[in-house]
Amino acid sequence: MPPLANAGQAPGPPDGGWGWAVVCGAFVSIGFAYAFPKGLAIFFKEIQDFFGTSYSEVAWVSSIMLATTYGAGPISSILVNRYGSRPVVIFGGLLCGIGMVSAAFCTSILQLYICVGFITGFGLALNLQPSVIIIGKYFLKRRPIANGLAMAGSPVMLCTLAPLNQFLFDNFGWRGSFLILGAILLHCCVAGALFRPIGAPTPPVKPQVTGKGKDALKEEVTEDAMEMGSPTKVPMEDKVEEEGGKACCEKINQYLDFSLFKHRGFLIYLIGNVLMFLGFFAPIVFLAPYAKHIGIDEYSAAFLLSILAIVDMIARPTTGIIANSKWVRPQIQYFFSFSIAFNGTCHLLCPLASGYTGLVIYAIFFGLAFGMVCAMLFETLMDLVGAARFTSAVGLVTIAECCTILLGPPIGGTLIDTFGDYKYMFIKCGAVMVLAGTFLFIMNYYNYRMLAKEEKERKAKEENPKPVRTENEGRNSWNKETTRDGPELEPLSKEQEGLKEEVNGINEV
Amino acid sequence: MPAAFSGKRPGLRLLLLLCLSLSGGSPADPTVTTQDASHSQANSLTKMQTGLNVSSPEPMTTTRTVNRQTQGSPSDHLTFGHNVSVPGPDLTTQEFKQETKEHVSNATFVEYEILLPGVSGTSTEKNITLDRATRIELSCRLDNKYSHLKSLQVTWKWGNETLRHINKTENSWGIQLRIWDNSQLGSYSCTLKGEEEMHAVFHLQVPKIEGKEKPIVSYEGDTAVMICKSYGYTPTAWTWYMTNGSEQVAINDSLLADKYVINRVSANVTHLKILKLTKEDDGIYWCEAGFELGKSKGKLKLKVLSLMVPLKPFLAIVAEVIVLVTVVFLYEIYSKKKEKCAADEKEFDQIEQLKSEESNGLENSSTRHRKI
Repeated sequence: MPPLANAGQAPGPPDGGWGWAVVCGAFVSIGFAYAFPKGLAIFFKEIQDFFGTSYSEVAWVSSIMLATTYGAGPISSILVNRYGSRPVVIFGGLLCGIGMVSAAFCTSILQLYICVGFITGFGLALNLQPSVIIIGKYFLKRRPIANGLAMAGSPVMLCTLAPLNQFLFDNFGWRGSFLILGAILLHCCVAGALFRPIGAPTPPVKPQVTGKGKDALKEEVTEDAMEMGSPTKVPMEDKVEEEGGKACCEKINQYLDFSLFKHRGFLIYLIGNVLMFLGFFAPIVFLAPYAKHIGIDEYSAAFLLSILAIVDMIARPTTGIIANSKWVRPQIQYFFSFSIAFNGTCHLLCPLASGYTGLVIYAIFFGLAFGMVCAMLFETLMDLVGAARFTSAVGLVTIAECCTILLGPPIGGTLIDTFGDYKYMFIKCGAVMVLAGTFLFIMNYYNYRMLAKEEKERKAKEENPKPVRTENEGRNSWNKETTRDGPELEPLSKEQEGLKEEVNGINEV
Repeated sequence: MPAAFSGKRPGLRLLLLLCLSLSGGSPADPTVTTQDASHSQANSLTKMQTGLNVSSPEPMTTTRTVNRQTQGSPSDHLTFGHNVSVPGPDLTTQEFKQETKEHVSNATFVEYEILLPGVSGTSTEKNITLDRATRIELSCRLDNKYSHLKSLQVTWKWGNETLRHINKTENSWGIQLRIWDNSQLGSYSCTLKGEEEMHAVFHLQVPKIEGKEKPIVSYEGDTAVMICKSYGYTPTAWTWYMTNGSEQVAINDSLLADKYVINRVSANVTHLKILKLTKEDDGIYWCEAGFELGKSKGKLKLKVLSLMVPLKPFLAIVAEVIVLVTVVFLYEIYSKKKEKCAADEKEFDQIEQLKSEESNGLENSSTRHRKI
């Protein structure tokens, strides 16, 4: 890899080439991470009969797996920060395989919780985060498309896993199926092998401070997509850290960037998403039971979910392409808020759907909205915090979302049980999502305005150079020059940050 | 999640029908008014007797007591039993059986009706599930729009026997039965003959037990749990059978307690747990539910596989993964080498260029010198 001195000449994200192979790998990885817990539901009846437990005890397996996948996000982020994506994904794939193979030999439901829930869940967590992170490292201009394509892995895998699981179960019983699924999960290792490291390798933790501070990566550019000023919001000043006193915090921050909690955009995203997830998954869980409740037979109800998955499959890459267009990319946050609100509106209108045709229309629109939101879920976070801090951001976001994701369906179920009617669940989900969408819309409008203001202030300061900062100004202006050309060169500074030599700026929140 | 709202229970339907009949309802409903009841009960008495014999004189004295018995009070049953003074040894036994049965069971009264389409040559069927002794009335009704059809001859048959029926209304005819034995189940049919012929059949059956269509797959040394459920009706007893060759052998779990465990989890559900499976346990199993009126069987298949069976695809997939990972890494090493070679070549070319420029420069200077 090019030495520090030539860092300025290192190429930016390739935006193509091997990047597409990485997208394929991420497709597989993300697909397994999202679709696998859902696909396991086919085995639950048999496992329930075998161990003589109630349905809810068996359903805990899926919940534990989902909780671990989201909850282990920060650990995943730390490992990626330390070792890079590839080793983490390969290790995650191995862990998944081991978890499922050991689950095949379980003799109690508690062992299943551990093997399938914790071990496989943790393995999937080690798959999900690095896949999303490495897309940010390989793509910039075409990042929304890459994200959309990679996230499309989830519905495709679900459509593949559901009949496959049924086939395996009919032929091998649940134990044999778990064994074979363990082998299938090893394909995550193949995906990991495709994740060639890019950019300068992360140097090992140096305890000494070289005067520029090994501080956490501060305010990263968030306007790489803005057409207004220069794409890079160059960090303001060079902060000299004291040695020792802050070394511990720096170490932690190097692995997991807690200073993100001071980042305005990050906070907006976090609050909006945590709110959104309260109503995100419940409608999918209850769509088939709702259809059966209004008198539709089992197969047609299952077909509704297939329609949803197929529309979702098409919607995700399409949304990626739309989000990449020059009209949408600068205002991608608005597009994201719009799709969340659209999703919520679908749910609010669902109780009006009568009969099978109405539900089919609802399923189509829901699939579309669901795909749109999922495709942009990580893209918007990358857009707000930048690819370098994204590693830590995604870990922190997933652990925060973990709670609401787990709470959503049970709250919906309680509403259904209390009122005996599904429409209150739909109304609740719809209301929560419309609220989340509106919140994000308003807050992002505010955020864009604040960023524009900060940009202006920065420009004003550069026009009046102060003597103390000549050296930094020189570097700043150099940065500004080299990065004025457009968003393509924004990763330049990311390179430097990757090397932890970057000039640190202060986040002016 | 809420329980399924689908009303799959015939018992519920029965109850509803009973409520309907007792409440009076509209004239169109197949309700039995008390007046008709007297007639029908008289006829039913005949029916009881004609269950075995074809005809016999009806003692009219029983009419009134019979009316009260539609409500199902045990004391009336006794009176009924006493009042029947019909000669014949087999009838006495029958009478005795009747008495005891009515003593034991809560008399449920149900009605079923088939509405006949006016089209000739049609045959309509209805399946009726009975799990305990019941008093049942079956009737065939012709829709009012066909009432113009005159001179209709109505026959009720059970197998080959003709039964006496009653004219409930102008357009409906029925029979009343008391079912307490398995032998009384079967197909009861009514035939309307006139200018056109119409046919309707009631199939009286015990509740069906569903087994599993798909085989249960398990492994040697493992445990298998087989479950049988009865929907809506509670059986008095459950028995499990395994097929040995062509015959069915009952499974005695007390005898082979370390191999078989039969557990009645709830009134309608039974579990058979087979421990330490071997290849010999592979085959078809039957769960039999015993009801008052008979027995019903469900079929389940057990497949016992050896551990090698899933191991082969497992190893194949693992091998494939290893091959793919190796290919990816080899390709990466190869492409890196290529890049390095290309970079080296470039450097080499650059150096060559510099050298040639230098030498050119020297030559130029030397030529210059010479020129000068």
